Amino acid sequence: MKNAKQIIAAVVAIAALFLFPQATGNPYYIHLVETIMIYAIVLFGLDIVVGYTGQVSLGHAGLFGIGAYTAGVLIMKLGAPVYVTLPAAIAVTAAFGAILALPALRVTGPYLAMVTLAFGTIIQILINEMTFLTEGPMGITLTKPELFGHLLDETEYYWLVAVMLLLSLVFVHRVLRSHLGRAFEALRGSPVASDCMGVSVYQYKVYAFVISAGLAGLAGALYAYSEQYISPNTYNFEQTVLFLLAIIMGGRKTRTGALLGATIIVMLPKLLDDLQMFRYVSVILAIIVAVSAGVALKRGKATLQAAMIPVVGSIALAGLSFKLETMTDWRLSVFGLITLFVVYYLQDGIVGFVRNALNLRGHAASDADIASAMTPTGDALSRAGGDAGGNLLEAKGILMQFGGLKALNNVDITVKRGTIHGLIGPNGSGKSTMMNVLTGIYVPTAGTVSFAGTAQAGRTSSEIALSGIARTFQNVQLFGEMSALQNVMVGLHHSFKSNLADVALHLPRYLRENRDTSVRAMGLLRFVGLAELAGEEARNLPYGKQRLLEIARALALDPQLLLLDEPAAGLTAPDIKELLAIIQKIREHGVTVILIEHHMDVVMSLCDTVSVLDFGQKIAEGLPAEVQANEKVIEAYLGGQAS
Amino acid sequence: MQILTQLVFSGIALGMIYAVIAFGYQLTFATSDTLNFGQGDALMLGAMVGLSLVGLGVNYWLMIPIVCVFGALQGAFVERIGVRPAIKIKSEFGWIMSTIALGIIFKNVAENLWGRDDLKFPSPLPEAPLHFLGANVLPMEILVIVGAVGMMLAVEFFNRKTIYGKAVVATFNDRDAAKLMGINTGLVITFSYALSSMSAAFAGVLIAPLTLTGATMGAVLGLKAFAVAIIGGLTSGMGIILGGIILGVAETTTGFYLSTGYKDVPGLVLLLIVLAVKPAGLFGKSAIKKV
Repeated sequence: MKNAKQIIAAVVAIAALFLFPQATGNPYYIHLVETIMIYAIVLFGLDIVVGYTGQVSLGHAGLFGIGAYTAGVLIMKLGAPVYVTLPAAIAVTAAFGAILALPALRVTGPYLAMVTLAFGTIIQILINEMTFLTEGPMGITLTKPELFGHLLDETEYYWLVAVMLLLSLVFVHRVLRSHLGRAFEALRGSPVASDCMGVSVYQYKVYAFVISAGLAGLAGALYAYSEQYISPNTYNFEQTVLFLLAIIMGGRKTRTGALLGATIIVMLPKLLDDLQMFRYVSVILAIIVAVSAGVALKRGKATLQAAMIPVVGSIALAGLSFKLETMTDWRLSVFGLITLFVVYYLQDGIVGFVRNALNLRGHAASDADIASAMTPTGDALSRAGGDAGGNLLEAKGILMQFGGLKALNNVDITVKRGTIHGLIGPNGSGKSTMMNVLTGIYVPTAGTVSFAGTAQAGRTSSEIALSGIARTFQNVQLFGEMSALQNVMVGLHHSFKSNLADVALHLPRYLRENRDTSVRAMGLLRFVGLAELAGEEARNLPYGKQRLLEIARALALDPQLLLLDEPAAGLTAPDIKELLAIIQKIREHGVTVILIEHHMDVVMSLCDTVSVLDFGQKIAEGLPAEVQANEKVIEAYLGGQAS
Repeated sequence: MQILTQLVFSGIALGMIYAVIAFGYQLTFATSDTLNFGQGDALMLGAMVGLSLVGLGVNYWLMIPIVCVFGALQGAFVERIGVRPAIKIKSEFGWIMSTIALGIIFKNVAENLWGRDDLKFPSPLPEAPLHFLGANVLPMEILVIVGAVGMMLAVEFFNRKTIYGKAVVATFNDRDAAKLMGINTGLVITFSYALSSMSAAFAGVLIAPLTLTGATMGAVLGLKAFAVAIIGGLTSGMGIILGGIILGVAETTTGFYLSTGYKDVPGLVLLLIVLAVKPAGLFGKSAIKKV
């Protein structure tokens, strides 16, 4: 029922889009909508980087420019037809996207923003200076493309752009809702946890940048044909900021937001050209802001000072619009002010704001409904192979040094397959450091770790995770903005073999894998008792449930060895009982467990062997009862007599 | 050889300007882990205000302290409007975008107030070059070097020797602990922004007589100074002087031997390489990631 409605709405929208040129007949408006569509393609791509992976890219105007110039140069030098220039623009720009992503291996946040800014600036300089290729500041003039021997006119080209927009929309939408999209989103939620779920942060960052750049390249080429003239100054810093503004104003992580954002940044300059119109709009805006600030003050939601800033700002803007003869010169200031406003008062963008106001459910929740409706098949928890009794994990002489501090000093730990191995010790004794060494987050200063007979040296966290070591974190590292179900599905990422083409075309392989993993993820949630909360965002779950969700996510990796870092911390007594049952069941499935815990009753009732760390050294090891009676252990926990 | 010495000398002067701007990045990064993406525009505003003051007949030397006060106010403004709300909601994206937005606004306002053309800033010192090691050196270049080093030393002295400076250092070491010790960390952060923009404005009036002054002069300077700040390490003190000199000389030589069009490229490429290879900087210490 709901689906039918959506399909009808989509058909009507597409028909309207295609009939628009016929309806207006005005080439100016046709060109305007064409530009909006082209910008929307860039924004679909930019949203992957900004909205999903959470990185700030200031290089997208540069990428847009590379696309435009790839098309321009190919046409000017070789007279290439459109079915060569578009793919070439996508390929070349995607390659540049990969280069841009290289520094992303090491840096994030403001550093990455500066890197992308430098990249954009270099591109602009190169376009300007490499006159033998690009004609420099002169620019390149070209005509509309020819298709099947027929030179497209303005309307026909509009249709071509519309088709490209729809293709990009479907492509981006499918990619972002697949395991690839979940991987991108996981990077933003918690890079460390992504790596420990076998989703290589670096690999997927590069992937995100490449896809994003490819779309920018396509849009750039379309833009070149659309304007019929390209010059270096179009692809500058302001353009980049405009793209970012469009994304945050429209709303991150939605395609509607990108379309809306594109419309705004194309229409706004036109609005500023019409001074009379702008005066009306700015006065109305000031009134709205003043009223909403008043409401916020009355409800005690904002302090006077905080509420005054936007009010003063918008009144100043309105006043300014009456003072000035022309707004065109102040265009950038207006954009700047809008950016400030959006960043602080409209963080989820217009789409997010409307969604919140109307209390709409996102697709994550409906996905969860669908998954829970599917019939479970078999056991969600996989059985770990291998014969019990052998050594699964051997760590020898582990030394972990931070500056002068030895967090771990020559520690040996051997874990037998199929057992629960306790790791205890006072705070700061090196337990979590040990976890981090075992999962490859820290590279030990000395010593070797071998798992299932293979040495772990030189392996990355994600490789270690895929080889069968899963973990939870002492301070919960969930992907907060993703639903519980999606969190577990990130853990199941390894069970997808589909590539980009499978995802984009919804080939049978992807559809089958997607269905199977949804069912399994649901089964795992049921196993830890979170089935009812599958559609809830992870950050909204209560603390105890978050810990259980982490266990479900870790189990999704089909681990041989599961590291639990203080799973009972902050849990109530009944919750702990539940946890004990869960850990028992995990053991029954043949999964080996290393358990760090401060609740001694938990440790004593579950563990087969216990190792005790103190100041980075192993001071005791043995059966739980032996360890409990050990003098050194008692001294470490309670303090010894002064000697 | 003579030309090379000359290029090296102007490179050093240019490098010191980068070092001063980079120093500004370090100041705010130290107290609040944030940067002003509009640092280059702070420099431009300083130069523009200085130019107007000189145009009104104010003596160059008298103008400098006025510009410094202006720079400090401008920095405090950026912190209050752009950075403080973002720190409060712990949004990295927030302060990046808002300092960029403020930078754009400043640039646009400058374009409208002072026009879009580059202007000549009258030199306070004679423009006849001095002869030094067989090379021609402008007296202004010497002033730039002396002024830049003096500025950085003064701020360092302040941080190390006065009680207010200790508050800055304490905030840098542990913001929450400093707050619990009764330090108004918010004020310290505002103050660091004021100092940061003040050094940028000061750098602006130093460099202006050597180059042209215009609304767009800041953007690339700010970006390249970031490269210097990274090379020197965002948290380590004087590596930026060396970083500045490396970049300045690389640039003047590229400009001379290759093409002036490409003179910005080495700095930007250097930034990309350093961040891709050793993001903690050549002199910085990498922090340990806690999980």
